[in-house]
Amino acid sequence: MSGEAFGWEERGLAGRAELSARSALLRSRGLTEPGDEDLILGLFDGERLVATGALVGPVLEGIAVAEGVEGEGAAVAIVSSLIKQAVGRGMKQLFLFTTSLEAGRFEAMGFSLLASTGSKGVALLEWGMDGIERWLEGLKARTFGKPDGAAAVVVNCNPFTLGHRALIEYAASQAPWLYIFVVEEDRSLFPFKVRIELVRRGTADLRNVTVIEGGSYIISSATFPTYFIRPTAAKGGASEQAVELHAALDLALFRLHIAPALRITDRFVGTEPYCATTLIYNKMMKELLQDRDGDGPVLRVHEMPRLEKNGEPVSASRVRALIRGGDLDATKELVPRTTWEWLRSREAAPILEKIRNSDSRH
Amino acid sequence: MEIRKSATAGTLESSDVLVTVAPGSGPGVEFKVESIVIKQFGKRIRSVTEEVIAATGIKNAAIHVQDRGALECTLRARLETAIARAAESA
Repeated sequence: MSGEAFGWEERGLAGRAELSARSALLRSRGLTEPGDEDLILGLFDGERLVATGALVGPVLEGIAVAEGVEGEGAAVAIVSSLIKQAVGRGMKQLFLFTTSLEAGRFEAMGFSLLASTGSKGVALLEWGMDGIERWLEGLKARTFGKPDGAAAVVVNCNPFTLGHRALIEYAASQAPWLYIFVVEEDRSLFPFKVRIELVRRGTADLRNVTVIEGGSYIISSATFPTYFIRPTAAKGGASEQAVELHAALDLALFRLHIAPALRITDRFVGTEPYCATTLIYNKMMKELLQDRDGDGPVLRVHEMPRLEKNGEPVSASRVRALIRGGDLDATKELVPRTTWEWLRSREAAPILEKIRNSDSRH
Repeated sequence: MEIRKSATAGTLESSDVLVTVAPGSGPGVEFKVESIVIKQFGKRIRSVTEEVIAATGIKNAAIHVQDRGALECTLRARLETAIARAAESA
């Protein structure tokens, strides 16, 4: 407990004075406040704040050490305390974003590198007993004996539409096997259990597909937090940069870990007519997965035009907009029979009600 | 003793060890050891860990040992403390 040995006192930050000292410390290190913190810790030398760190869900953020106390163990003390607090809250797996230059410092603290965007870029690390290796072992066991040269799609399916079906059908016709990763994060209006069930029902007739839960490593709030928050700033603003950064890490992780484990060589994606975040993601997918100089196998990316009905692209957001407007019947021609039957079921009623009362993008 | 919740003891600081104990997913105690001196002391860290687990009599747990060059007495103390904390009712 070097905190005591060095005469440092650790406590949760509260009150305007402490929080503004923290803002100043973060600013002096070129960092901004992450926002939405579940816990903000500080390390004090007398009245002076010498280090700070925060917990945002399962992500360690806003870690900074004051000038003049680097190398004295303040960073490792604050990280240890954050881990302790997170474990006490029942978390088993933690994540941390940092610059590629600093990644080694956290690796020395027991974090493992998941992905990085090059030596001058950013890096994503994880901490915990069940890391990506174990997740991949599970996937390999489930997909044992499946052919090489498989294709993959990553879908949210909020809910599953004829647009998703067209993309999946096409991808499955072009590859010996297709893995359908469904984003697991429960931030969408349709809960994960419903979304994946509708994907399973809607693809049950295809003999060469496997539907897989996206877990922590496919567009999750840990690896891609900006996917789930509506970007506010205009094009070119800070939020677009954050989306690009997270998208780059998500794609690097897919290429470096997931694609080799399942022997995936191709990724299929639909053109994005509405969502700015997905538009950036698709653009970066073509750049980063096909880049000859990147880490991991080079993949082929196929962007498919969206299926259209009555001159408009079929998309889940259009389905949700119709539900919100009270026109459930109009969704019938946009979704497969399996989704339509579910939408008419008793189970759907509370979710439809929630959509009518929501203005969420997801 | 029964592991009821997740708990830690120790830190990731140099010459210390961070031990995380959580309820296990299956029968038996599963543990993972990481160390900056795994080549020299990996075997010893594992045998001390097994010894402490056996002495506490826990049956169902996942234990993560992240060693930063701790002395053996430190490792024992951290293991015992983490297990005792995890065995407390919440």
